[in-house]
Amino acid sequence: MRHEHIETNSGLMIVLILLVISIGGLVEIVPLFYINETIEKVDGVRPYTPLEMRGRDIYVREGCYLCHSQQIRPFRDEWLRYGHYSLAAESQYDHPFQWGSKRTGPDLARVGGKYSNQWHVQHMKAPRSVVPQSIMPNYPWLLESDLDYSDLAGRMGALRATGVPYSLTQQEYDANVGRFGKVVADQLDISQAQDSLLKQAREKDFDGIPDRITEMEALVAYLQALGAMVDFAKYDEGYFTTFR
Amino acid sequence: MAQSSALPVEQYNYDIVRKFTIVAMVFAVLGMTVGVFIACELAWPFLNFDVPALTFGRLRPVHTTLVIFGFGGSALFATSYYVVQRTSQARLAFPWLAEFTFWGWTGGVALGALTYMLGITQGREYAEFEWPLDIAITLVWVSYFAVYVETLRRRSQPHIYVANWFYLAFILAVALLHIFNNLAVPVSLTKSYSLFAGVQDAMTQWWYGHNAVGFFLTAAFLGMMYYFVPKQAGRPVYSYRLSIIHFWALIFLYMWAGGHHLHWTSLPDWVSTLSATFSVLLLMPSWGGMINGIMTLSGAWDKLRSDPIMLFLITSLSFYGMSTFEGPLMSLKSVNALSHYTDWTIGHVHSGALGWVALVSFGAFYHLIPRLWGAKLYSQALVYVHFWLATIGIVLYITSMWVAGIGQGLMLRSFDDYGNLAYTFIETVEFMHTPYIWRALGGAFFVAGVLVMVYNMVMTLRTARREQAAIEAKLAAKMAKA
Amino acid sequence: MFDWLMWFTHMENSKPLALVLFFVAFCGILIYVFTGKQRAKRLESYKYMPFDEEEPQQSEHRDFARGLPRARIETQSRKVMDNE
Repeated sequence: MRHEHIETNSGLMIVLILLVISIGGLVEIVPLFYINETIEKVDGVRPYTPLEMRGRDIYVREGCYLCHSQQIRPFRDEWLRYGHYSLAAESQYDHPFQWGSKRTGPDLARVGGKYSNQWHVQHMKAPRSVVPQSIMPNYPWLLESDLDYSDLAGRMGALRATGVPYSLTQQEYDANVGRFGKVVADQLDISQAQDSLLKQAREKDFDGIPDRITEMEALVAYLQALGAMVDFAKYDEGYFTTFR
Repeated sequence: MAQSSALPVEQYNYDIVRKFTIVAMVFAVLGMTVGVFIACELAWPFLNFDVPALTFGRLRPVHTTLVIFGFGGSALFATSYYVVQRTSQARLAFPWLAEFTFWGWTGGVALGALTYMLGITQGREYAEFEWPLDIAITLVWVSYFAVYVETLRRRSQPHIYVANWFYLAFILAVALLHIFNNLAVPVSLTKSYSLFAGVQDAMTQWWYGHNAVGFFLTAAFLGMMYYFVPKQAGRPVYSYRLSIIHFWALIFLYMWAGGHHLHWTSLPDWVSTLSATFSVLLLMPSWGGMINGIMTLSGAWDKLRSDPIMLFLITSLSFYGMSTFEGPLMSLKSVNALSHYTDWTIGHVHSGALGWVALVSFGAFYHLIPRLWGAKLYSQALVYVHFWLATIGIVLYITSMWVAGIGQGLMLRSFDDYGNLAYTFIETVEFMHTPYIWRALGGAFFVAGVLVMVYNMVMTLRTARREQAAIEAKLAAKMAKA
Repeated sequence: MFDWLMWFTHMENSKPLALVLFFVAFCGILIYVFTGKQRAKRLESYKYMPFDEEEPQQSEHRDFARGLPRARIETQSRKVMDNE
């Protein structure tokens, strides 16, 4: 075959281009869905509670991922600064993933539990009041706006459609009880979503305003859940490397 | 536009090319100005003004979208519609559909930018459009494909010229990437959740993200290069055979390289190793293409002294060569360990985006403007002014980002004598303040250059209109006499 | 005797196999493109395509093409469709 055949035939050229550009993607992406080792087997990772899920929506809305990564690499300095390197399992319910590509601010993959709720609220409201050299924008409106939790069923339903185990039927609920325990299973139940959101907000009062549920409440709830689900003391270091 | 009705029917449909050219320049001014603004926000955070729509997190996608899709995309529409007609010697097919691509694309990009400011986003870099806009863009893209291919099929030339191969690969690849990367389950008109999660989602996104660079910002602009460099130089491309190798190798290799954005993450090691390997291989077709472009001028190097447009085109190829060398370097795992997550990446992107994409587009536009509007360029001297403003801007930008990025990378990984971390994170932020100011200044230089170009263009168009009016008046006088 | 065929059935050999196939294809294309005097001449003749357009109103941009060796034989004035 001469190259002229391709050059003079637009149909043939289209077919060949499609063929040539498909190979790379197919080889690299498709196996990720089938190779079991892609995601580590590890206890503790659960889908976000309704309140955390709404906090994550706000995290996406404000574009936090453009300055903060959520992916710790296996280096000594990152270990000292942020903690254990990130596991694929820890973002298995993240739609979309928020690993980020730039650290204008520090990594947040394990920010959960590192600071108090009060610190987070103050830091988000006026970052330079806590860290004078910070270049983060102020987010005062997070405290001013009340959280919209009218559409929890719609949001959780959509996430359920992507494969997140939020339960709709009794059977799914029972499966969640077996997998995550009753407390978590209740929080993942779509029919109880509003109640569990209110309950979590009332108990923890993330935003420090007891009688209101603000957007700050949800965002801090989300941040406090980040990277805190896996108990790394339970596994020895060699275990996770078998998955890489 | 106005004068096209007065002229006898043009051989080619230049109306659509003129529209896209104008809108590309509008998007360039807007997008790059937003870029300078957010660069200033990083240097002086009070500029966020506590206004949600003006915060860095919301404006950054506005900047990338306006520049990549608004400016770059419109430049590609303009030049591809021009090149496909000229090299096929056929008028553009389906003019109404081409018109739809103009309004659809412009409207889609503008609406996208507005929705980001309202916080409506998919949270995927360079693919922030929510699903209704994604669908609209898909429709525009399918129409683009139809117009383009049908024009090719109507060609009066047996051969399809190499520039069109690149444009064609770009249209096909972007369609593929756009559709697969934006699969999502909608909640409402303004919110959706991506179909994939975690590691699969990350790989899909960077397969998209890297090939947005590979096909949108590289292959398509190489198509531009393969037409406008020979035309401006007045001599054919250096080697047609090299362009065959260049084309097939480039489009094959690019698709493998996306994983290098995810080195050292939870992505399985074999994927990132494979991606790094292909990224290094990519150096060869990239440089093959650069050599092919630059050597087109061999034997006529004096043109660089006499022709500022040539200066734009050849400088853009040099920056292309530089950033396609830097890219494979940064895709090596050991280098990436330092460079990733830092401003080095930002600098690398801009040496490609400003140095290659923008300069080659400006060169092509300077070549196009006299031909589209039928008037001599208003000022040759201002083209030189633009060139130097742009070049100084780029150099300031990328050197300050090297300092910021490599500096931060080194600080973050240094330890004191006791094995403790030598710097806290916030100390690196403090360190980056000065480079951030220089970067904003570099960006401002570049925008100033663009404004000079806009002025030059407006003046050219005004002359064209005046000449046109004079001809019409003469014609009217003749008619009156008769 | 045909035991060596079993090598192809192992999944772990797919990557080296693909590597060999792609590399052979690449070398094949290189050899095709850069060998043969006739072929070289023919392929290089297509690079004059951008200068084939007629453009009556801009004569000053036309003369450069005239000085170049015109290797093309076919005329471009007739309509040609795909596959012709």
